[in-house]
Amino acid sequence: MNPILICRDCDTVYRAIALRRGDVALCRRCDAVLARYFGADMESGLALVCAAAIFFAIANLTPILSITVAGVETKANIWFAVRSLQQGWISVAALGLAFTTFLIPAVQIALLFWVLLFARFGLRPPGFGPIMKLLHRIRPWSMTEVFLLGALVAIVKLANWVPITAGAGIWAMAALTTVLALLGRCDPASWWSIAPAVKT
Amino acid sequence: MTPLKQSLELGLSLCRTCGLAVSRASLEADRRCPRCQSRIEHRTPLSSEMTLAWLIAGIVFYIPANLLPVMHTSGLLGEADSTILGGILEFWRAGDWDIALLIFIASVAVPFTKFIAISLLLLTVRKNSRWEQRQRTTLYRIVEFIGYWSMLDVIVVALTSALMQFQVLGTAEPRAGIAFFCAVVVVTMLSASSFDPRLIWDRRT
Repeated sequence: MNPILICRDCDTVYRAIALRRGDVALCRRCDAVLARYFGADMESGLALVCAAAIFFAIANLTPILSITVAGVETKANIWFAVRSLQQGWISVAALGLAFTTFLIPAVQIALLFWVLLFARFGLRPPGFGPIMKLLHRIRPWSMTEVFLLGALVAIVKLANWVPITAGAGIWAMAALTTVLALLGRCDPASWWSIAPAVKT
Repeated sequence: MTPLKQSLELGLSLCRTCGLAVSRASLEADRRCPRCQSRIEHRTPLSSEMTLAWLIAGIVFYIPANLLPVMHTSGLLGEADSTILGGILEFWRAGDWDIALLIFIASVAVPFTKFIAISLLLLTVRKNSRWEQRQRTTLYRIVEFIGYWSMLDVIVVALTSALMQFQVLGTAEPRAGIAFFCAVVVVTMLSASSFDPRLIWDRRT
C-alpha cells in the first residue's frame, strides 16, 4: 500500500490508513476522494473486461435503433451515426463521435484485457507503464453513457412520427456502460499499486 | 487533529499520472516519476493561461453552434433547418417538456455553467482569493464531471440523420452547427482539464 497520499485537488498530505471493503477516504480540506478500497481481484476484473468486450461487440454488430416504414427499414448503431455525420467539413464531428464512442472504449477494453490477463498470472504486462498512462489520459473521453442517453432521446423524438424500435444493441450498450463504470471506478493509484505485486 | 500540510512544506510532490507521492530531494534533474516515468510538476505549468485560452475558444465556438442550423429535414411537411434552441422549443410546444428540459440542460445549461464556473475559478485564482476554497474545489469537480454530457445533441442529430433516410417520408441531414457544437464540447473539456485546482489553495505573495 502507498504509505503517503497527496490530495489531487488541494495538495494536502496524508498518511494512508488501511481501507475495508466499501471504504472511501476523503480529503479533510476539500472533500476530494483520496483513495477507495481496492480489492485487487484480477479474476473478477478479467471477467468484467471479457463481459465488456462481448457487450461492445453486440452493440456494434446489432442495430441499436431501427425504423420500418412501408417495408423500408433503416437501422442505426454507433457506426451508422458516425457515417451520417460524414459530410464535407462537418466530418470533424464524425471524427469526434468515432473517437469518443467507438475508438476510445475499444482501446480501453483491449488494454485492460491485456493488463489484467498478465496480472492474473502474476506477471508484469509488457508495456505496463505506457499502457497505464494512456488509460489515464483517455478515461475522460469515453462517452458510452452519453451515447446511450442520446439513443433514448432519439427514440422519444422520433416515436411521435414513425414506428421506432430499440434493437438488441441498446441493451448491450446499457450493459457496456455499467461494466465500464465498474472498471473505471478504480483510481490510477490503485491500478499502479498492483505493479509491485506482480514480478518485474 | 494534526494540522493539515501541503506537499511543498513536507518536501513532497504528487505525480498526477500515477498518484505516487515523491520526495522532491530524490528527483533527478529530468524530474521523472520513479514509478511511471511521467514528468513531475509541482503545479501544472501554464495552467491558468491554457484554461483561459481553451475557455475563449469554447465561447467563440458556442456562437455559431447556436446561430447555425444543426439539422436539415425534408419530407412531406416541407423543408426545414433546425437550430439547437429551435429544437428545444419544438419539443416544448409538442408537450414533450421532459425531453425539452433534458436537451436544454445538456446543450444550454451545461455549457453556460462551464463558462461561468471556469471564469469564476480563473478570476478568484488570479486575485489569490481565500473565499470559499472548499466550495470552489467542489465547483471544479462538478465542471469536470458534467463536461461530456453536452455531447448529447451531437449524438441525437447523428442518430436521427442515420435513421431518417426515407425517400417519401423524409430525410434528415446534419448541418454545420453540430460540428461547432462538438468543438465546444471538446475545447471546454480541455479547458477544465487544463485547470490545476491546487491553485485555489496556494498562497502566493
